Amino acid sequence: MTGRRISSVCIVGGGTAGWMTAAALANRLAGLNVAVRLIESEEIGTVGVGEATLPHIRAFNTTLGIAEPELMRATEATYKLGIEFCDWGRIGDRYIHPFGNYGPSDDAIPFYHQWLRLRGLGDTSRLDEYSYPIIAAEQNRFRHPASEPGRVESSFGYAYQFDASLYAKFLRRYAEARGVERIEGKVVDVALDGENGFVRTVKLADGRVVGGDLFIDCSGFRGLLIEGALQSGYDDWSRWLPCNRAVAVPTESRGPLGPYTRATARTAGWQWRIPLQHRVGNGHVYCSDFISDDDAQQQLIDHLDAPMQAEPRRLRFTTGRRRDFWKRNVVAIGLSGGFLEPLESTSIHLIQDGITELLGLFPDQGFAAEDVDEYNRRMALHFERVRDFLLLHYVATQRDDSPMWRHFRALTLPDSLQHKIDMWRTRGYIVPYQFGLFLPPSWVAVMLGQGLVPDAYDPRLAGIEAGALAKRAAALRAEVAGAVRATPDHADYIRQSPAAAGLAA
Amino acid sequence: MTNIGSGAPVGRVLVCGDGLAAWMALAALARQLPASTAIVWVRAGEQGSSDLFYGNVTGPSAYAFNLSVGVDERQVMLDSATAFSWGTRYASWGAGRSWMQSFALPFPVIDGVQFHQYLGLAGAGGIDPFVAGLQAARRGVFVHPPRAAANGTPHPLSRAEYGYQFDPADYARLFAVADRVERVAGTLASVETADGRVTGVTLDDGRVVTADLYVDVSGPDARLLSVVADDAPTGRRIAIAASDLPADDQAPLRTVRATAQGWESDTPLKGRTRRTVVGAPGDVVGAEATLGRRSQAWVGNCVGLGQAAGVVEPLTPAPMLLLERDIERLLALIPVSGTMAVEAAEYNRRFAEDHDHAALFQQALFVAGGMPDGAYWQEARDEPVSEKLARKLTMFERRGVLVAYDLEPFHPEDWLILHMGMGRRPARHDPLATRADTAQVVPFLTGMAREIEQGVATLPPARVYRTQLEQYLRKAAS
Repeated sequence: MTGRRISSVCIVGGGTAGWMTAAALANRLAGLNVAVRLIESEEIGTVGVGEATLPHIRAFNTTLGIAEPELMRATEATYKLGIEFCDWGRIGDRYIHPFGNYGPSDDAIPFYHQWLRLRGLGDTSRLDEYSYPIIAAEQNRFRHPASEPGRVESSFGYAYQFDASLYAKFLRRYAEARGVERIEGKVVDVALDGENGFVRTVKLADGRVVGGDLFIDCSGFRGLLIEGALQSGYDDWSRWLPCNRAVAVPTESRGPLGPYTRATARTAGWQWRIPLQHRVGNGHVYCSDFISDDDAQQQLIDHLDAPMQAEPRRLRFTTGRRRDFWKRNVVAIGLSGGFLEPLESTSIHLIQDGITELLGLFPDQGFAAEDVDEYNRRMALHFERVRDFLLLHYVATQRDDSPMWRHFRALTLPDSLQHKIDMWRTRGYIVPYQFGLFLPPSWVAVMLGQGLVPDAYDPRLAGIEAGALAKRAAALRAEVAGAVRATPDHADYIRQSPAAAGLAA
Repeated sequence: MTNIGSGAPVGRVLVCGDGLAAWMALAALARQLPASTAIVWVRAGEQGSSDLFYGNVTGPSAYAFNLSVGVDERQVMLDSATAFSWGTRYASWGAGRSWMQSFALPFPVIDGVQFHQYLGLAGAGGIDPFVAGLQAARRGVFVHPPRAAANGTPHPLSRAEYGYQFDPADYARLFAVADRVERVAGTLASVETADGRVTGVTLDDGRVVTADLYVDVSGPDARLLSVVADDAPTGRRIAIAASDLPADDQAPLRTVRATAQGWESDTPLKGRTRRTVVGAPGDVVGAEATLGRRSQAWVGNCVGLGQAAGVVEPLTPAPMLLLERDIERLLALIPVSGTMAVEAAEYNRRFAEDHDHAALFQQALFVAGGMPDGAYWQEARDEPVSEKLARKLTMFERRGVLVAYDLEPFHPEDWLILHMGMGRRPARHDPLATRADTAQVVPFLTGMAREIEQGVATLPPARVYRTQLEQYLRKAAS
């Protein structure tokens, strides 16, 4: 069997994960004579995993040959320059975690060290003033990045805020047009190979049987194949990230169209607000140890800024990851692989990681243990590094106004995160890694934004004359401010482009 | 002592030792530390010729490193025998094995699939025709790699990278100790400690010199660090000797040959060729050292750089890559905390990763059949292959996947050239590569190889280029 190529792939479950996977396989396996089937049931609701994305999704779409305006129209998308975090460090605080660096990216010592030094000398400028995407977001402005390097208008990335279920539908059309066979049905049984325990077929409620060489489990939290059939096991990370419920509701659009998502800390979790063209997505992620479902829903409703468009919908989850993302001939992508709350819009990104790594290690029918092991190593690293970053938001805070915040105060952190925080506090040093989603500027944004100010700046800067630093900083601020003034309003920018869909005129 | 613990950097740094690591470290500290930090230099006495273990080649990172410590390439060319280097040719590395390990920027990704995955598909035997630096090395020619041709398209040499070929004693002089360094007369006699920290060094005339931070660059003996450290390297023991041969072709390529006793290398420099011989101590008469790293390079207030923290066999540019990284790591972590505990923790974490990752690359040179049988070779072969290395080797041999870990000193392209050079061929290629139309892939690869071939054909011999460069630099300086 070793060496025979995969001739059929069966994706179990639609939704964002299922259709992203199907679309990517349809594109990347085109011409290789691989049959791709996707089983989904209209009966089973999909969990729209996060409606806000990260800039990497643009590479995913580009590879698929999807044009941006078409995508944005189809998904009611708006542009996203970052996330605004409210009430995290202390009640009343706010900061934006941007898709971009602070100051020039080519400084040998990151610019924020200069800012720290100036601050020590009495300078009152915000670090934000050296970030084009932050200032643009604060003023609800957007433009595409400039292509000329060196200009502040080229110093950022952007993503989308969109309707994930529309994205799934869009990708479904894409995938079906490229030969993916969609099978309507509900999986009721899984047949394993008597010898090696591989999944051979799945049986649908109407008695049909669907086989495949490779199965991709996109069945959501329950992990129909990876857990239900293969008992991969789950690393429960609730001790670090205890939020385990969410309640979501759409509202009408009111006020200016922000090119950013908002995450507001609450007493037992946090609330999201994601502006799309035709509506605003809202939700409350919370921990059931600290608040009842009804109170959580009421808290959400109390904090909405516009009328609801539907009944609130409730979700449950357990933070963590599957022990083996890939086991035998089953790869779990999406919620079946693991769940991390969408505080930093990572859900769709982790789907993308799962697909990218699978394509990079695409198996043959031998399903070599080395490939499986390498895939699991890579995915575990992706998940763990995101986990640390999310947890940072809960522990870089002075809040102790509710049992949840006091829980975090008493928490023993993973060594990797504690070390990262210690290094930052002592000297503004970001512990580097190569294989992880969030780069140093993201860590800087959250740590400074939540009130962790280092005791020292990089001593190598001490020799530079302070007046020269101040002058350069003032010039950088002026450059950002000027560039933002010349940037169009976000809503106008979309309205006047082929990306416009449900945006009110 | 000064005001540390309040976010101010250490007030006084004592550097103890001599030779290449000492001079490079002093230059770096002098260049980058604020004037408020005093830098004191104490010699540690006879260090023998352990600097030979730094080898004769740097990686491409040397250019930027040198610049950051105040040594620009003009000085390197005008004031030392250092020559340009495309890499190393491993000639007769066991049973007819021979390849050129040249530096390269990443190869192109085609249709989402890595370049080398198409080689087998197109019937191309190896990677050599597509490595511009390697083709230039083969002809003995050199120019600084242009990034773009006149018409804006990438130049055939745009993916080439170069390092330097050097003699450690000669190269060290480029990093002449700066004015601000306070040289203390006398040499180290003993080290005073308390609670796992260095409290001072006593000199041979009885004076005691103290500092906040002690930087040990005294070579493998680690005169300071060994007093406070728990362990020392326990790897193989090797000996090294060097001599100069009369030659002046300045070929931009070092040659390494396996011998029954170990290996020897010829490194063309300006005006001479440096021959280095390495083997088991019984077989080679010269400086000796135990390979491997300490578990911690930074203990308390004492940090060992270069050989004081670990000795690396100069079979690849690893010793210099690691020395540069040691110094850069220290600069990024010049202590501002009273106990230096956080700085030491991060320094040691990265130190261990860097050394261990470099060791993977070095060890991969020994995972091969047909090597000689001498004591040196037996000991090298007996070293267990770590899980990390096994993963790299199997994933490449099975399917050409280049497994990578965080921030490795050797890059995927270095690994690719090494694997291919040593004769490792993926049993199969990336299944996604078969999407490509062979009728298009073959001409693409042929065209790329031809462009490189044509690009290097017109280049001047390295010695001619060097001579002209020197003339130009002298004229520009006068």
